[in-house]
Amino acid sequence: MLMTRNYFGFIPGYALFWGVFVIALLLFAYRIRQLLQYMFLGQKETGYNSWGKWITTTFAYVFSQLCQLKNFRFKKDRAPLGHALMAWGFFVFVLFYFFFFILAEGFGLAGLEKTNFFYYFAWVMDFMAVLIIIGAGWGLIRRFIIRPARLKGGQTIEALIILLSVFTHPFAFLFNQATVIAMGEAPAGLGHTLLPPFSSWLSHLFTGSALTVIQNWHIAFFWTDWLTVLLVLVYIPYSRYLHVIASIFNGIFEPRLPKGALKPIDLEHAEFLGIPTIDKLTWKQNLDLYACVVCGNCQEQCPAYITGKPLNPKKVIQDLKQQLLKAGPELVKAKAKGEPAPQNINVTLAGKVILEDEIWACTTCGACDTTCPVWVKHIDKIVDLRRNLVEQSILPETAKATLQSIERRGHPWRGTTLNRTDWAKGMNIKTLAEDPKVDILYWVGCTEALDERGIKIAQSFAKLMQQAGVNFGILGTEESCCGDPARRLGDEMTYQAQAQKNIEVLKGYNVKKIVTGCPHCYNTIKNEYPQFEGNFEVIHHTELIGDLLKQGKIKIGKGDYGSITFHDPCYLGRHNDIYRQPREILKELTCTKMVEMEKNRKRAFCCGGGGGRLWLEERIGQRISENRIDQVIKTKAQLVATACPYCLQMFEDAIKTKQAQDTVKVKDIAELIAESSAK
Amino acid sequence: MNMIVCIKQVLDPEAPLSSFKIDPATNTMVPVTSVPFVISPFDEQAVEAALKIKDAKGGKITVISLGVNLLRDVVKKPLSLGADELILLEDPAFIGGDSWSTAYALAAAIKKVGQFDLIFCGRQAADSDSGQVGACIAEILGIPQVSVAKKVEAIDGKVKVDKVTTDGYEVVEVPTPALITVSNELGEVRFATFKGTMASKKKEPIIWKPADIGAEPAKIGAAGRRIKTRKLFQPVRDSKCEIIGGETDEDKAANLAKKLVEVKLI
Amino acid sequence: MADNKGVMIFVEVIDGKLTNIAQELLGAGRKLANDLSEELSALIVGSGVANIAPEAIAYGADKIYVVDAPLLKDYRTDAYVAVVEKVVKQVNPRILLLGQTTIGRDLAPRAACRLITGAILDCIALDIDTATKQLLITKPVYGGNARAVYSMETLPQVATVRAKAMTALVPDSSRKGQVVIVDAGLDPAAIKTNVLQKVVAETTGIKLEDASVVVTGGRGIGGPEGFKQLEELAKVLKGAVGATRPPCDAGWAPDTIQIGLTGKIVSPYVYIAVAVSGASQHMAGCSGSKNIIAINRDAEAAIFKEARFGVVGDWKKIIPAFEAKVKELQSK
Repeated sequence: MLMTRNYFGFIPGYALFWGVFVIALLLFAYRIRQLLQYMFLGQKETGYNSWGKWITTTFAYVFSQLCQLKNFRFKKDRAPLGHALMAWGFFVFVLFYFFFFILAEGFGLAGLEKTNFFYYFAWVMDFMAVLIIIGAGWGLIRRFIIRPARLKGGQTIEALIILLSVFTHPFAFLFNQATVIAMGEAPAGLGHTLLPPFSSWLSHLFTGSALTVIQNWHIAFFWTDWLTVLLVLVYIPYSRYLHVIASIFNGIFEPRLPKGALKPIDLEHAEFLGIPTIDKLTWKQNLDLYACVVCGNCQEQCPAYITGKPLNPKKVIQDLKQQLLKAGPELVKAKAKGEPAPQNINVTLAGKVILEDEIWACTTCGACDTTCPVWVKHIDKIVDLRRNLVEQSILPETAKATLQSIERRGHPWRGTTLNRTDWAKGMNIKTLAEDPKVDILYWVGCTEALDERGIKIAQSFAKLMQQAGVNFGILGTEESCCGDPARRLGDEMTYQAQAQKNIEVLKGYNVKKIVTGCPHCYNTIKNEYPQFEGNFEVIHHTELIGDLLKQGKIKIGKGDYGSITFHDPCYLGRHNDIYRQPREILKELTCTKMVEMEKNRKRAFCCGGGGGRLWLEERIGQRISENRIDQVIKTKAQLVATACPYCLQMFEDAIKTKQAQDTVKVKDIAELIAESSAK
Repeated sequence: MNMIVCIKQVLDPEAPLSSFKIDPATNTMVPVTSVPFVISPFDEQAVEAALKIKDAKGGKITVISLGVNLLRDVVKKPLSLGADELILLEDPAFIGGDSWSTAYALAAAIKKVGQFDLIFCGRQAADSDSGQVGACIAEILGIPQVSVAKKVEAIDGKVKVDKVTTDGYEVVEVPTPALITVSNELGEVRFATFKGTMASKKKEPIIWKPADIGAEPAKIGAAGRRIKTRKLFQPVRDSKCEIIGGETDEDKAANLAKKLVEVKLI
Repeated sequence: MADNKGVMIFVEVIDGKLTNIAQELLGAGRKLANDLSEELSALIVGSGVANIAPEAIAYGADKIYVVDAPLLKDYRTDAYVAVVEKVVKQVNPRILLLGQTTIGRDLAPRAACRLITGAILDCIALDIDTATKQLLITKPVYGGNARAVYSMETLPQVATVRAKAMTALVPDSSRKGQVVIVDAGLDPAAIKTNVLQKVVAETTGIKLEDASVVVTGGRGIGGPEGFKQLEELAKVLKGAVGATRPPCDAGWAPDTIQIGLTGKIVSPYVYIAVAVSGASQHMAGCSGSKNIIAINRDAEAAIFKEARFGVVGDWKKIIPAFEAKVKELQSK
């Protein structure tokens, strides 16, 4: 029984079917056009899109729901499974409506419903509908009754409408099917004995009713079903349902950039720095805003948020989105007239839309970007906001002093009493100026060369290389800050000056391979120097130590440290995917037991020192480093090993402040191996 | 408001002590690669004082520096902050001077610039720490001076200065043209903006030689010195810590007090 | 020029009293005058200052020149330079010494310039080169990283001297000296400087950045009570209290007194670090200090590397005993 063949009074079913469909499509298209207009107010974007991305994003992440399931943890967070159920249901429903509503009903290809294809599809749909009901019902309960922290403030009307529509729609569908079955039509009339269980079970409700009554019920459920579908279609671009479209494109157009890298600014031609106003985001950054589904995964992972700072990555994205939607109409009008947008609407973002305390609280640890299921980038926006503040000379005093120190002295350690070669005194380490013929350059980094605690890492690592007979050299006084703190504090100018200076020196010595103990230097030289034609092979000291251990060039004795836990430095782990090597090295330290903190590897909790924060005050909330040390203490490990001089310093400080010196110690992996091999 | 700021390029005063090396033969500091050149910090404050007035009242800021091998990246800094012009007295004849011969050359250059309402100098250079060039320029030009300012306001042909004193400050007013030396109490200096830096890259400094400013060769640089450096040396101490002993902590404390009085630290 | 003789001290008077620095200068001048076998004179400038002359004589001066005029009530560069020029041209001293004070640092270079001679500011030692009778002037340069010894051929040789660098003589009221009153001869119209207001800083103690003595407490202080103790000590030493970051973070001390990379930068003459480990972030804020004194229980603490004097022990016992001893010595 094709609904579209019926008449409703004088309105033909076809007209009604297509009429409401077209109205829905127009409403949909109107909003999409508007959103695209706002989006393309944005600046040009470089380095995105590859055909492979179309495939990997859609299949490997979206259809598989890996984008969600990557956050699934059985004990901690099962919501991703709920989402996957709904999403898979959604995909199957879309197909079903395409075949059996649009083609069969709309185009009158009624024969489609007379096939086994329909029969089997009906079976799938039957289960899907139930799964969706369970998924959405669970979602409703979780969001509005259980209210987990991640969804704090997420109890909005919008969320209610979305969840209710997802929840109620399968009922309409099931009843629609049930009435069909009750009328004896396909799938019932195809000769199969086993019918889709849920809808056929529901069809018993109509047993004994007159055919016309069932038909009327069917008419009601068919149109309810179709209208619900169209309502959802319309609601997609007007709500955060939008992510079902935007996130796929957001994945496809994800900039092709190494994970740890920030995008460079063409300083010669730039007319502004960072994102002063909403129209200065790139179109891809705008797409990020559309993609965000306010799931709160980033919020849940953010060390700044967790320790009570005003930063919440989710809120940053949402605030920017609200500003885009608010200013969008005026901006589009102004653009059409070729006029600048009115300033009272196109307001300064930094300080007005996103507050300074939010902007400076970020450690650029990357937990948000890593956990985000829809490829939203948070760090790039926060750094862009910093870039804008720096350009206006609005930055914390200590940040200013740090940046000035980098710019003038080539290091952030203002007031250090050490020279770059002091740590190497008496170790017979040559500089490239003395002998450029080395196999590998040891890039010491400012913190391992100029900080009292840091130099012990450099000394340990150099000793290990000497033991193993590695032919290495250092740059000594020719080394200058890699620029990481400058870039992440938003001072792109100082960063680029440092990068260019260093690349020139490195190229001058024809350096091919670099090893460094600092993940920040590592990330910067490896992932960001190529932006300025500095292409070097860069390895981290954990990689080299690991290799030397495997090759038997370093022998380590038995060291009894009790139990050890490893803290993943953000720029080694999340930003560069080095998780395995440090753990393998630690396992070599026999007699020791490795324990993991609850937050490890890609979910590791920051030490609080990244993003230039090592040089900033941390006045609001709990200190991030202390929170992390609490996590260490919880494992009962006597020692926390790390592989980053920033982490080391933050933890040394936190342990002292907590007066936990007798409970736990912090050491760099290089120090541990050097101590052990010396025994 | 036409303003002139005198700046000096010096070895980074914040470099670690161990990186300073003295050549005993010439009694001069030997530059080491690890110690960068910077603008003397008080001179940066002087630039800031001028910029603040430019912000409030508008005007033109001319920066003058003197020396040889002046690093453009260093001395052009004020241009990136908002100064308008940079004049370099860059000639071997200018260097090796004392406060007086340096002031003489700077005053000659200022006379050549001609129009000025305010001259700013740092209270002292971070290398020689002499603290006299400003007063000498003012004397040569015959204009009033105010030393060690923490706030400068220009009001109709006059300048009102908060001058740092031992127990607070004095508000002093002098008619312009006048010379002000500026102290760190002025507060943080601004940060170079990207736009300013880009603009400053395009600006080239004006170079003046002794003849350009009509300076008598006998009065500039080393030739014009009134002060002779007999010796430059690094005081020996620092790394060696003298541990004050005693039977009990109380004894140690008393011994420390005695020692500090003995060496006149308290 | 050859007839320039004697040492002249520019004496500063505050609230009708000879300042400490003036006493110290007279002591140093006396010694130089003796070395040269010449006269020590003092120049007193101000309004209502004539009665100071006997005190200056008691501290070692042979001859006092008094320039007393209402116009000279406040220090104004133009007026004072004119007075110094007039007196120096009249007396022709070989050496003119001033204090490195608000007045001295302003007056000395300008007066020297006008007198066509040189000056050295902020000296810590003065000697006579017996061969040339020239003054050898030692002063810290490069922010305290080095010292220089200067001399000059031009006369008078002008120098300002840092407070506490010289020792005053024990005043001898039986000393005899001559007092010469000099007319200021100032034209009020020629004085262009106006002092509108004098503001004494509100701070109860001395401003941290300006203090010549700083007593800093570290993490080992353990609580706000400890800082009260340090404050008492600072008061006795006429200094200010500082703190490293942890005590500020913990709220034991106000943020405004944090010294270090992320706080204030100080370079006092004496820096007493109590229970401070000496982490580089902290040293960033105080490495310019001329003399660091470390008190720490841990003999291995990095602070001892930076210190000139150190005491290994418990600050809770050391500080009260130290304060008591200092008070005792001060009262002598």
